[in-house]
Amino acid sequence: MTPHLIVPFGSADWAAVAPPTVVGVAALVVILADLMLPRRARRISAIAIGIVGLIVAGIIALQGWHHPYVAFGGAFIEGGFAIVFEGIVIVAAIFSLCMSYGFARDDQIGGAIALMLWSATGAMLMAGAASLMMIFLGLELLSLALYCLCGLAARASAREAALKYLILSSTASGFLLYGMALLFGATGSVALAALANPPISAALFDIGCGMFLVGLCFKLSLAPFHVWTPDVFEGAPLPVTAFMSVVTKAGALAAVARFAYAALPQRDHAAILIPLWIVAAISMIVGNVGALAQTDIKRLLAYSGIAQLGYIVAAMAGTSALGLRYAIFYLGAYMFMNLGAFAVVTLLSRENDEGSRLASFAGLGYRQPVLAGLMTFFLLALAGLPPTAGFIGKILILATDVNTGYAWLAVLLIVGTAISVYAYFKIVRAMYARTIGTPVLPRFVPASALPWVGVALCAIATLGLGLYPFAPSDILPLVR
Amino acid sequence: MSVDVTNYIALSAVMFFIGVAGVIVRRNPLIVLMAIELMFNAANLALVAFARVWVNNAGHIFVFLVVTVAAAEAAIGLAIVVAVFRRAENVDVDEVAGLHG
Repeated sequence: MTPHLIVPFGSADWAAVAPPTVVGVAALVVILADLMLPRRARRISAIAIGIVGLIVAGIIALQGWHHPYVAFGGAFIEGGFAIVFEGIVIVAAIFSLCMSYGFARDDQIGGAIALMLWSATGAMLMAGAASLMMIFLGLELLSLALYCLCGLAARASAREAALKYLILSSTASGFLLYGMALLFGATGSVALAALANPPISAALFDIGCGMFLVGLCFKLSLAPFHVWTPDVFEGAPLPVTAFMSVVTKAGALAAVARFAYAALPQRDHAAILIPLWIVAAISMIVGNVGALAQTDIKRLLAYSGIAQLGYIVAAMAGTSALGLRYAIFYLGAYMFMNLGAFAVVTLLSRENDEGSRLASFAGLGYRQPVLAGLMTFFLLALAGLPPTAGFIGKILILATDVNTGYAWLAVLLIVGTAISVYAYFKIVRAMYARTIGTPVLPRFVPASALPWVGVALCAIATLGLGLYPFAPSDILPLVR
Repeated sequence: MSVDVTNYIALSAVMFFIGVAGVIVRRNPLIVLMAIELMFNAANLALVAFARVWVNNAGHIFVFLVVTVAAAEAAIGLAIVVAVFRRAENVDVDEVAGLHG
């Protein structure tokens, strides 16, 4: 009598979740290698296994591009949309691993890299998640691993960041979960697609949508749910901050986009999603104004991330097909310019000093001209000046907002950008200003050349996407 | 005798708001973690009640997943609280204020 309990999962279902599975298994291999290898080989082996696992997962994911598949009774949809987000998570995780060489103690590194890979697994599950259950599971796997990672530094501020992140993020998960329960009650199904059916109670549905979006906006660190971001970014170890700044947001953005595009096509969802666009608008202003006062690069990039995510969500206003493509393009651009900036900070960090204070950038333009030039380039990109990906991305978002009748968002985007230029140029000025009394910091050799690879690739990608903007087409049919 | 589903939902809403109030008002991180568990369990109660209404087992399965996740969350949460307050005599979230928000 209960046919829906018989679940005929075949090999195709498992093939659809192969990319996240490979990353999860790679984490297990990292832990195994950590147990068996001698102490001095652990660091490089953990990072190498992680990167290989991520690349294999990426190759497997690309195989599915032309064969979208609805797996596990609609819980997970592997297709263009999921693959693009999985790809962003994979690339961001690889760059974060490149920055992880000096991270954690020798006896912690295996576990730390494994946690990072599991966190990426969670984000990749969110990328393909098409049911409320799957979104919740992916989000919690992503978050639980990150709570531990945030505390992995000798400083007390790291443990404080972990505690703050744990409490605030869990509360947000509580809101998300209660919203999911109400949505389940309103529609009788956990499938996102079922949200398009008329609900039995409009009030239940609206409150459920609201709480669901509040939970996800917290993970996206959109204002006014952003207050945790600067503190957690400052306290967490540098590679973890870099990882969080892209992977958490990519995962949550996939869920928000699928919710906005696939779940609510018929109902007059314009009204339900308006608070989301308002939140995006507030983020653009709050993020950029907040960035003005910061003297720590990690905090500055935290505020910058709040504003950048505001731009990305604003691209989806009006839920046009082009808007989704542009949002994904800008997410990719944000990943490269943001991780590039983080990689530069990694190259400046020494033992007991993460090099993230504004003071450690003083006179950098004369001490390390190449590094300072690259940092300037990433900051130009984040501020949205040509010829970078950030410029093209913003132009595309402006165009789509004007076309879909959200001109007020376009205006706020321009205002936010104008404010942000001042915030980013504070760092540029510190690097090139000749000030008397600047401490002459010695030139130093970083522990590993890996971050240089990250910086170079990010710079090439930021310039490349700026000159040849490319966003994968025909994603929209694959959202559902 | 059956109880109307709105009673269950009302109870779960009350539990949820007690949880939210606990997170906002209480200063002891252990109590805050308990309040978060209460929020999760409020959602569980709503899920089970709605699963009964719709005769859809997805709600029940969801609850099992949530219980597992909540257990993992509690384990990690307690570990972090121990790590933060290992040297402190008392536990109070207001004293964790090295990072200026």
